[in-house]
Amino acid sequence: MATQWTRRQFLATLAAAGLSVRMSALMAAPGAEAITRPIPSSGEPLPVIGMGTWRTFNVGGDQHLVSERTQVLKTFFEWGGTLVDSSPMYGSADDVMGEALDALNAHERVFGANKIWTRDGGATREQDRASRRKWGIDRFDLQQVHNLLAWEPHLETLKQMKADGDIRYLGITTSHGRRHRDFARIMEQEPLDFVQLTYNVLDREAEQRLLPLARERGIAVIANRPFQGGSLFRRYQSEPLPGWAAEAGCGNWAEFFLKFIVSHPAVTCAIPATTKVKHMEENMGAQYGNLPDEQQRRQMADYVAGL
Amino acid sequence: MTDVFWFSYSLSDFLMFGPEVFLRLFVRINQDFWPWQGGAVAMMVLVAGLLVRGDKPAKRAVLLLLAAAWIWSGAGFLMEYYGPINIPATWFGWAFILQAALLTVAALVWPWDGSPEKPARQWHAGTAWLAMTALLSLLAVAQSGNWQAIALFGIAPDVTIAASVPCLLLLPRRVRWLFLLLPLLWSVFSAATLWTLGTRLMFVLPLFTLVLTVMSFWFSPRPVQNRD
Repeated sequence: MATQWTRRQFLATLAAAGLSVRMSALMAAPGAEAITRPIPSSGEPLPVIGMGTWRTFNVGGDQHLVSERTQVLKTFFEWGGTLVDSSPMYGSADDVMGEALDALNAHERVFGANKIWTRDGGATREQDRASRRKWGIDRFDLQQVHNLLAWEPHLETLKQMKADGDIRYLGITTSHGRRHRDFARIMEQEPLDFVQLTYNVLDREAEQRLLPLARERGIAVIANRPFQGGSLFRRYQSEPLPGWAAEAGCGNWAEFFLKFIVSHPAVTCAIPATTKVKHMEENMGAQYGNLPDEQQRRQMADYVAGL
Repeated sequence: MTDVFWFSYSLSDFLMFGPEVFLRLFVRINQDFWPWQGGAVAMMVLVAGLLVRGDKPAKRAVLLLLAAAWIWSGAGFLMEYYGPINIPATWFGWAFILQAALLTVAALVWPWDGSPEKPARQWHAGTAWLAMTALLSLLAVAQSGNWQAIALFGIAPDVTIAASVPCLLLLPRRVRWLFLLLPLLWSVFSAATLWTLGTRLMFVLPLFTLVLTVMSFWFSPRPVQNRD
C-alpha cells in the first residue's frame, strides 16, 4: 500500500469495496482531503490519524465483541484511515485484527504496523511470522522493536528483513516517557524509518529532545497514548471547548486533543484506540479541515493546563 | 534497565483489556453452558448439606466436590475464556487443576483421626456457607447489571475460591496451609486486576477471600460431638 490518495481515488476505492460512506466531515467540506504527512525516508504520504489496538482489540473469542471491533475498523477505513498498530503483547489483539480484516476483506487497504516483543533476540523473524499469520497478510509495512526490549539483536534482524523486502519500514517504540535518553541515542545512531512515543497535550516531554531529533534525522513519528489512555476525556470532557477551538479546526474534544498532536511538525500520525464507532468517527474528524498553527497550539496547551 | 525503570510502571500498564471484555467472560460462559448452571447450583446445595452432616464421609465428599469445582473453573473459565485475553489466567488454570488433584488426594487418604463418629448437625455452618456463596455469586450481576453474568460456584474462579476456603477448615491446620497458598495468590492477583479495571463491587470478592484465607491459616473450629 502506499499511494497518495486524491479525494476521487479515495471515494472510488470505497465504492469498489462496497463500503457505505458516512463521512460527514468530508461531505460538509467539498474538496477536502484527508490530511497526510510524508514518511521522511520514502516520501510516502500517511494519513495523520491511525488506529491503536492496545486494550481495545484484545477480546479473546468473544464473537459479539469481535463483530463490534470489526465495525470500528470498518469506520476507520471509511474515513480514510490506513495505519493500524498492534503488538504480540496485546493478548488476542492480533487474532482479532485478523478476523476483522478477513470480514472486511481489507488486507490490501491496511498499513500494517506491528512490534517485536520478546527477550529472545533470535526470535525476531519467528514473531513477525506469527503476527503476519494472525493478520493474514504477507508482510507488515512497519515492524518495530517494542519498548526497546532486546533492541540490538531485533534491530539488526529488522534491518536485514527490510533489505530482503520482508518489511517496508523499521522502527522502535517507547511509551509513558520511558527511557528517552536511550531512545535518543538509538535515534542518533541507527537508520530508523519510524519511532513511536507518547505525546499528547499534557505529556509533552518529547518536544524537548525526541521530536526535534526526529526532524533532524528524518524519522517519522507515531504518537501513542494521544488521550493518555482515556484520562484526558475523563478530566476535560465536562469542560467547554474554548470559543476559538473552531478557528483551530476543532469541533469536539477528540479533534482538539488529536489536532494538537498532529499539528506538531515532527509528528507523522497519532494512533488513538477506541471500542466505539461513534468515538472512531470523532477521532477521524481530526484528519480533515485545518490544523492549528503554532500560536493556536500554544493556546491549546495553555487552555488545558488552566482547566 | 534499572530498578527505577520498573517503578515507572503502574498496574494498568500490565492489563491488556477493559472491564467490558472481562464482565462479558461471565456472560459468555453462562450462555455457552446453559442449562448446566443447574448442576452448579445442585452442587452448592449438596456441599451445604454435607457441611451440615459433618461426619467423615461427608468431609471426604465435600473435598471431592471442591476438587470438581476447581477443575471446572480452572480448565473452563480460566483456560478457555480468561486465558486468551490474560496469559497469567492460563497459568492459574493449571494451578487450579493441581489444587484439585491435591484436594482429591486429601479426600481419599486423610484419616481424620479423632473426629467424632456422629457429630452434631452443623446447621449454621451449612446455611451460612450457602448464603455466603449465593450472595457472592451476585456481585458480578450487580457490577454488570446483567443476570447472565452470574458467577456461580464451580464456574467462576473467585466465587469457587471464596466458597472453598471455609471448607478447607475441615483439614487440620498442619496440612491446611498447603491448600491455602493458591487462594492467597489468586486473591492478590484478582484484587489487583479488579482494582485496576475499576470494577469496585467485584473487588470486594477477592478482598473478602484474602481476609478469610489469612484467618484460615490460624483458625481451627472445634469439632462438636453429638450429645445423643
